[in-house]
Amino acid sequence: MANLSLKHIYKVYPNGTKAVNDFNMQIDDKEFIVFVGPSGCGKSTMLRMIAGLEEITAGELRIGDIVVNDMEPKDRDIAMVFQNYALYPHMNIYENIAFGLKMRKLADVKKDKTGKIVTDKNGEPVQVMRHLTKAELDEKVYGAAEILGITDYLRKKPKEMSGGQRQRVALGRAIVREPKVMLLDEPLSNLDAKLRTQMRSEIVKLHNKLQTTFIYVTHDQVEAMTMGTRIVVMKDGYVQQIDTPKNLYQMPANKFVAGFIGTPQMNFFEGTLKKTGEEVEVKFNGSDSVVKIPYGMLVKVMPQYLDGKTNVYIGLRADDVTIDPDEVNGSGTTIKVKISHTEELGTETLVYGDIDMSRDSFGESPTQIILKAAGFKNFSSGDVVDAALKMENVHLFDAQTEESILPRIPKYNYLDCAVKDGALTFAGVKIKLPDAIKCADGEYELLLPTDAIAVGGDVAAEVLSCEQTDGKTLARLNIGGNCMFALIGGEPGQKVGLSLDLKKITLRSDGKDIISPMPLINSVVGTFALDRVKKQIEEGGKLKTKKVSEYSFVMGGRKFKAPLDVAQKMFAALSGRKVFNTAFHYEWSPYDMAISDDGIEGEVTEVLDYGAEQFAKVDAAGSTLYIKTTGPVSGKVHVSPDMSAVSVVEKDRNIRIV
Amino acid sequence: MKKIKIKPQKLFNVAITYLIILAVCFIFLFPILWLVLASFSKTGSIYSFDGFFPTEFSLDSFIRLFTDTDLYNYPRWFLNTLFIALMSSLIGTTLTILTAYVMSRFRFKSRKTMMKMTLILGMFPSFMTMTAVYLMMTQFNLINQQWGLILIYSAGAPMGYLTQKGFFDTIPSSIDEAARIDGASNFIIFIKITLPLAAPMIVYTLLSSFVWPWSDFILPQLLLKNKDLYTVAVGLMSLDDTEFSRFAAGSVFIAVPIVIFYFALSKFLISGLSAGAVKQ
Repeated sequence: MANLSLKHIYKVYPNGTKAVNDFNMQIDDKEFIVFVGPSGCGKSTMLRMIAGLEEITAGELRIGDIVVNDMEPKDRDIAMVFQNYALYPHMNIYENIAFGLKMRKLADVKKDKTGKIVTDKNGEPVQVMRHLTKAELDEKVYGAAEILGITDYLRKKPKEMSGGQRQRVALGRAIVREPKVMLLDEPLSNLDAKLRTQMRSEIVKLHNKLQTTFIYVTHDQVEAMTMGTRIVVMKDGYVQQIDTPKNLYQMPANKFVAGFIGTPQMNFFEGTLKKTGEEVEVKFNGSDSVVKIPYGMLVKVMPQYLDGKTNVYIGLRADDVTIDPDEVNGSGTTIKVKISHTEELGTETLVYGDIDMSRDSFGESPTQIILKAAGFKNFSSGDVVDAALKMENVHLFDAQTEESILPRIPKYNYLDCAVKDGALTFAGVKIKLPDAIKCADGEYELLLPTDAIAVGGDVAAEVLSCEQTDGKTLARLNIGGNCMFALIGGEPGQKVGLSLDLKKITLRSDGKDIISPMPLINSVVGTFALDRVKKQIEEGGKLKTKKVSEYSFVMGGRKFKAPLDVAQKMFAALSGRKVFNTAFHYEWSPYDMAISDDGIEGEVTEVLDYGAEQFAKVDAAGSTLYIKTTGPVSGKVHVSPDMSAVSVVEKDRNIRIV
Repeated sequence: MKKIKIKPQKLFNVAITYLIILAVCFIFLFPILWLVLASFSKTGSIYSFDGFFPTEFSLDSFIRLFTDTDLYNYPRWFLNTLFIALMSSLIGTTLTILTAYVMSRFRFKSRKTMMKMTLILGMFPSFMTMTAVYLMMTQFNLINQQWGLILIYSAGAPMGYLTQKGFFDTIPSSIDEAARIDGASNFIIFIKITLPLAAPMIVYTLLSSFVWPWSDFILPQLLLKNKDLYTVAVGLMSLDDTEFSRFAAGSVFIAVPIVIFYFALSKFLISGLSAGAVKQ
């Protein structure tokens, strides 16, 4: 019955181990969120931080609208189910479930012995905090026991019950308090396989019934896929992807997610892509087979991957490879597979093979392929068959970063363009370049970010299609016969006028950036300081002189008073006096800094005129700052930042604190 | 019915085992047997024994122990000892359990250092501090006071908290965490969750911290000068040489409360109370 907001949450243990790095998420009311990942990925730590059992090193956690970072677990209105049940062994089941209720008091009006409401002298009912009565306890405990089917065991001790029943009691103990958020820490991993499947559906049923927010931690991807409305995949303390089960399966953000979700594991091959006309040639390393697919399937792929030289990972699930002769014959995308062994599962057979004819795939092999065949199939080791690949379901990943190169929202549009006489021409569009962009005439590659395109301007375009992804609307546009992407809305077939934000564009020639986008983050290195200042304070009607603590940022030899909430977060992140001996990056956007009479001393080196906006390039405090200006500026100036809009990053460990 | 065959090798092994057990039992039990027999001897002096064992038996020594109280007031000593031991046991157990719980569940600065310190300090025998204790007790005017002894015994008890800490460590912390989420404060968790689970350990601590003051000789001898305040150990030591059978009777009777105490509490000494809490 509450939404959660997790912003830049970090967990760093005193010995320096980073358990959770920059966890960001918005959880809506009534969602069933699953944290999944291999052991040691930080999922349980994250859950325990939400529960309040583990301190949050940095970041902000809200339940409902309240920041709960420093709140005791009991005040957060959450309930938790533990992997090992954690029942109170000396109490019977009734007492176990009722314990949490007995600990709490609720506000009520005071009543006398006859049940009449006691009023004060103003006639208002007197408020009292009282414990639940026996009857109320009974009602709640029996209600919860009813839901979980453990009414018959209420007088038993936990040791007399089986694992499944104990876990039910643990669930009962959690739901009886009607918490805002239910936290479940691998609740099923101690149960046997059959019971686990049964409890899985029971927990989902419980979620539907209770209509409250569930956060569920598991290392089992099947549990995650079947239970969660959204899944958070984590690895080594970093969030890999937050998405619905369907999107995780169909559009994994990186190779790890692709391999982690789905059984058998996705097949990965190294290979290259080469664009020739309207087709793309897919080559698999180690195999002679070449597969050709239409370019239309890969429009979102950045052109640098389509040169036929750059190595990429090609991912195909076992379901997307078939050796059914009917499908192989009709398919234009086939590959030769040498079969090594099979695993018969009854309804289907898992066939293990290799696309490299010189290998077998009994051991680990980079060219191993696992595919599914219907029913029982007999193959002998060494058979070579043709397998059809469903290339429309292909996943492509960068060989170095392992990130998907088929992004759902492409970052840039790649276009060829020409600059002549201070005007930029691309896709039949001609735009006058502002003064800030100076470059020699010639042919360039234009990188136009998808978020640099906005509705309202004179660039004519037609919306081809529109899709909703990650809470944003992505439109496919036709500009002068070129396909482009933009983060705008619209109906297919609609004609729109667009404007381009030219400070975000990149012009590239021979792999070198000739024009780079203007940085949108100004970073200044500084420290944090405490001063004891004498101040006159009114206290009890008298003016008193008292010493007050004042915290400030020290940058470029100047002190800026730090807002109290920022100072508190910095203290929370770095305990003790460490905060005063640490260097920080203080960051502002160009819109949150201003040139004024007072502030860090600097010198204007250049004024960038982007037509609609002007920015001053200022050298100050050892960094180059871009600051939005309105009037003309030059020479020596002072820069004053907006202290309420600051972001703070710890310099050495690169941890975002605010 | 099948006849059970016993192999000679096995028979030999069993025989050897029992021989060793008997030998050990004899070594342990012989002094006790001797003392019990001596307590029932008719004549008071050890020199009247025929060889090792007394010749004539009677209950005289026991009766005299409780009736002839003019010179040697055994019932008084007995009550003194009981009071000191019970108080020390109660206060000492409270302190030990609290210390152990804090060391097991809370993380604070210099916790490790304190644990190491107590371990090292515990290695020194307690009578090493005798002179210092005597001087301090004089300063505080606690010579010839039972509370002085109780103070020393209870304050010294938490030094042996390690066993109790080990026990608390075995209670899964997830139970505490569950209770914390259920809304219990640290104190409530300690009272309502940890203590009931630690019942066997509390009984063990009560017993072990009872035994030390009950049987200690050095400290009462050092601090109690008044005959009316004597504990049993000091009192028995003050007996005349001719009163050997009375000494033996007093020594035998001193075991009675410990035995009663043990049997009264032994039903709590069962293990496995925490079964069913968590999946092991």
